[in-house]
Amino acid sequence: MTTPEPVAVDPRLLEILVCPLTRTTLRYDRARNELISAAAGLAFPIRDGIPIMLAEEARPLED
Amino acid sequence: MTPPGAPPLLFDRRAVRAHRTRAASRCARVAPILEEAAAWLLDRLDDTTRRFTAALDLGGRGIVAPLLRARGIATVACDLSPRMAALSGGPAVAADEEWLPFAPASFDLVVASLSLHWVNDLPGTLIQLRRALRPDGLLLASLPAAGTLASLRAALAEAEVALCGGLAPRVAPFPDLRDCAGLLQRAGFALPVADLEEIALDYAAPMALLADLRAAGESNALAERSRRVPPRGVFARALARLAGADGRLKVVLPMAMLTGWAPAPGQPQPARRGSGQVSLADVLRSPPEPGEGDGASDGT
Repeated sequence: MTTPEPVAVDPRLLEILVCPLTRTTLRYDRARNELISAAAGLAFPIRDGIPIMLAEEARPLED
Repeated sequence: MTPPGAPPLLFDRRAVRAHRTRAASRCARVAPILEEAAAWLLDRLDDTTRRFTAALDLGGRGIVAPLLRARGIATVACDLSPRMAALSGGPAVAADEEWLPFAPASFDLVVASLSLHWVNDLPGTLIQLRRALRPDGLLLASLPAAGTLASLRAALAEAEVALCGGLAPRVAPFPDLRDCAGLLQRAGFALPVADLEEIALDYAAPMALLADLRAAGESNALAERSRRVPPRGVFARALARLAGADGRLKVVLPMAMLTGWAPAPGQPQPARRGSGQVSLADVLRSPPEPGEGDGASDGT
């Protein structure tokens, strides 16, 4: 069959999470399994369904 | 993330995170203590008729979130360490308590059981938690209070001075109970209350206290801690001194229990200043005897 899907993030979390640095809304990038903060220029990873909302773990967005 | 000119930070948050990650595989060892601490806190939910539907468990180490869910409350678990957050099952988030990632009014209950004492900016964290609460939402938090591990701190200091001729901080400072209520008030909580509960611990082998602290993720994360490995004798000497004649080590964990509500219009409010119709002095004065004047002589 196919490779196992990554553990999906709980949709309730997507409703309440904001960027910890700028307190702005986040965009969920399903393909990369990341939460994007355009204001902070950071992509927060989701690992095993757990959003990692730590600046030092986030990927800087290339513009 | 410290701006230049800011006061030095008390705690090394990287170390706090590393200690919690390491503790994630070990904290089953201290589950009974964590469960007792959580029970003290969650018992307070029974004191209110409010029903809660959306809770945040901050740093519950896999113990608090399941207890909240067992009460039928949908709960999001949050921890500085992703591995510790994962212990809670269900929806979980890794986040820094000093930079919380929650939208305003996301929860009607926040529970932080023995998890806020490694935060550098506690007032800032409390303000963020108040904002994450809906109006009339409840914060329940417990912190190790002043006096926690005080005898260990003294014994370690004595042993280290004796063996090394110097001293490094090994036990974190803990807030005074009075400071806690003030903190809640400063953070904008209504009806703030801080009181004290105690957990008594009794160790057959004194060194087990250190193992338990490590298992709970409570290793020393003071920014000014010594990075050198202490001489082996320091801890043995200190703990031997703490133990009773029977070789057992008894310690008491005093917990400051904090409750505060996010302000809402319907809550009991203090009366407006100057709105009183009766003079307090009149009330306090003993009722005048019949025939007596205005009670100027209050013969005791």
